[in-house]
Amino acid sequence: MNTTANKKELIIGLAMTGCSLAYLVMAYQLPNHQGVDAATLPLLLAGFLTLLGVLQVFGALASKPALGTERASDTQGELPASPAEAPPASVVEPKTVLLTLGLILGYIALLGPVGFPLMTVVYLYLQFLVLTPVQHKANHLVYLLIAVVCSAVIFLLFRQAFDLMLPAGLLNNFI
Amino acid sequence: MLELLQQGFGAVFSLNIMLLMAVGVAMGIVFGAVPGLSATMAVALCLPLTFTMGPQAGLSLLVALFIGATSGGLISAILLKIPGTPSSIATVFDGGPLMEQGHGVKALGVGIVFSFLGTIFSIVALMFIAPQLAKVALRFGPHEYFAIAVFSLTLIATLSAGSMLKGLFAGGLGIAVSTVGIAPVEAIRRFTFDFSELNGGFSMLAVMIGMFAVAEIIKLAETGRHAVQGKARSVSMKNIKGFGFSLKEFREQLPNAGRSGLIGLGIGILPGIGAGTSNLVSYIIAKKRAKDGHTYGKGNIGGVVASETANNAGIGGAMLPLMTLGIPGDTVTAIMLGGFLIHGIQPGPLLFISQGPLVYTIFAALIVATFMMLFMEFYGLRLFIKLLDVPKHILLPIILVLCVVGAFGLSSRLFDVWSILLFGLLGYGFVKAGLPAAPFIIGFILGPMAETNLRRGLMLSDGNFADFFTTPIAGSFLGLALAFIIWQVVSSLRTKKSMVSEILRT
Repeated sequence: MNTTANKKELIIGLAMTGCSLAYLVMAYQLPNHQGVDAATLPLLLAGFLTLLGVLQVFGALASKPALGTERASDTQGELPASPAEAPPASVVEPKTVLLTLGLILGYIALLGPVGFPLMTVVYLYLQFLVLTPVQHKANHLVYLLIAVVCSAVIFLLFRQAFDLMLPAGLLNNFI
Repeated sequence: MLELLQQGFGAVFSLNIMLLMAVGVAMGIVFGAVPGLSATMAVALCLPLTFTMGPQAGLSLLVALFIGATSGGLISAILLKIPGTPSSIATVFDGGPLMEQGHGVKALGVGIVFSFLGTIFSIVALMFIAPQLAKVALRFGPHEYFAIAVFSLTLIATLSAGSMLKGLFAGGLGIAVSTVGIAPVEAIRRFTFDFSELNGGFSMLAVMIGMFAVAEIIKLAETGRHAVQGKARSVSMKNIKGFGFSLKEFREQLPNAGRSGLIGLGIGILPGIGAGTSNLVSYIIAKKRAKDGHTYGKGNIGGVVASETANNAGIGGAMLPLMTLGIPGDTVTAIMLGGFLIHGIQPGPLLFISQGPLVYTIFAALIVATFMMLFMEFYGLRLFIKLLDVPKHILLPIILVLCVVGAFGLSSRLFDVWSILLFGLLGYGFVKAGLPAAPFIIGFILGPMAETNLRRGLMLSDGNFADFFTTPIAGSFLGLALAFIIWQVVSSLRTKKSMVSEILRT
């Protein structure tokens, strides 16, 4: 197994252990510890999860040759290779992920005060721009149009037909 | 039974419900066909639409979506050589080559007809098995329910993951998240951090929308800007009689279809694993059994038949534990469980007694939706091909907005919207860490069931654990769960493994 894959498994193991320990600490803080009560299952579970996390860490530290890849090649004989299985090397863009996350965060945070119709237009327009493929040119007018139409259709459809009062926010006095 | 079924068809054959189901099947096919969108997402997004409908209309819509989306994957599998959903991975192996050889219509026709047959077979099986199983399940008490929950969890955690350790961890984490909120029996608040919104725990649907839809959108943001979107090739429908293949070819494939249907049904019934696994298993078995096995993978319709019959036969299989025990068979039925609960219906053995007409309405809806799928998918193919070309960077943000609306609609509070973002991030972390999402969801659903029944069982037997093992049914399920873990550990220690268990674990 190459070292980067090992390191990744190690980080995953540490994250798993970290989560489990946090849960263990919280489970200990639950009231009552006599016989089987509301704290029993969380405690047992936390112990079990921590064990799994530690096993994962040890598994990653013990640098054996990669069993996974050997097994995968075994199966290949039975299943024909298809182009879907070997996609062209894709470019991973952490920046787009962060921008997308930021947009979703902002969208949800402002949904209450600014309201669904306005925020949806803003979010959709910006998200279209962020996700536009590199070889495409962003078409601002079309994006804006799609954003406005979607926002209006969803808002009115749910309000009128499905009795769901989405927050109107700033537009409260006009709708 | 016939009388109840007649009533069911009577309920479904109203203009209102028929229209809803037609829309549902069409939307389902689109969600199945577009790679990156899934049946789970389709059902999760449309669930809020059913809040204001009656249970009959609402559940018919969900059923229609389920059937359309399971079958729709074959369109992109054959035309784009990309499986639309995990359940049609094996369809690509022979569907792709058939398309290249100019037999695209034949591949599509075979796929659609055998999807139809697989679905009908599984629904008939469901209709005959479910009432009997419900009768048995009526006698189940807390001991049995605890054992079944543990058994289901073990099965899914060990089978669905690449690594058993990660599968078990994902399942355990699901149970951990389900312990948030007021505890069963003594009603202590656990892990609520003084948020009154968390008293009821995280909403099941918010968790699922986050894990399956929001996580998918974040994942696609990663590569989306550089991904080359395949252009779907169209097929000529001129001079096509029937469904594009001959009666002789149909007859030749019947044994293959029968076997694949049984595999699909069987794997579908097992909790947690479904069509995503059964299409591969039945493909491999069909290839081994076929006289012309060497032509599989080079454009043999047998491969399409095996994959599509098996994945659609999983529909009835997955509905079986849901309707009789209240245990979802896969992630789609997990959301359907949410749909049942929202309409005030508790799935389980009592459903067949208290809601008999509704049960048969669901059966009728399944059958009607299957017929709709058969004709819409084949004759409306050109329309669906057009939809495959809708750019992802337009589609995904709109789906996110619908996720937000769906989460908000659960109980009209922004708290649930924040939850979907939280679980979206968690789901993205799962993808990055190679943890499977399905055990997490099943753990989240079965966790409270296991805990509540454990506590009840202990109260019934005065704190005596032995009763869980001495009650025959509970004991056998717990024994099976233990045997299964041992079998998994032993077989993972052996270097050479059988093909089927290999596929089950990948």
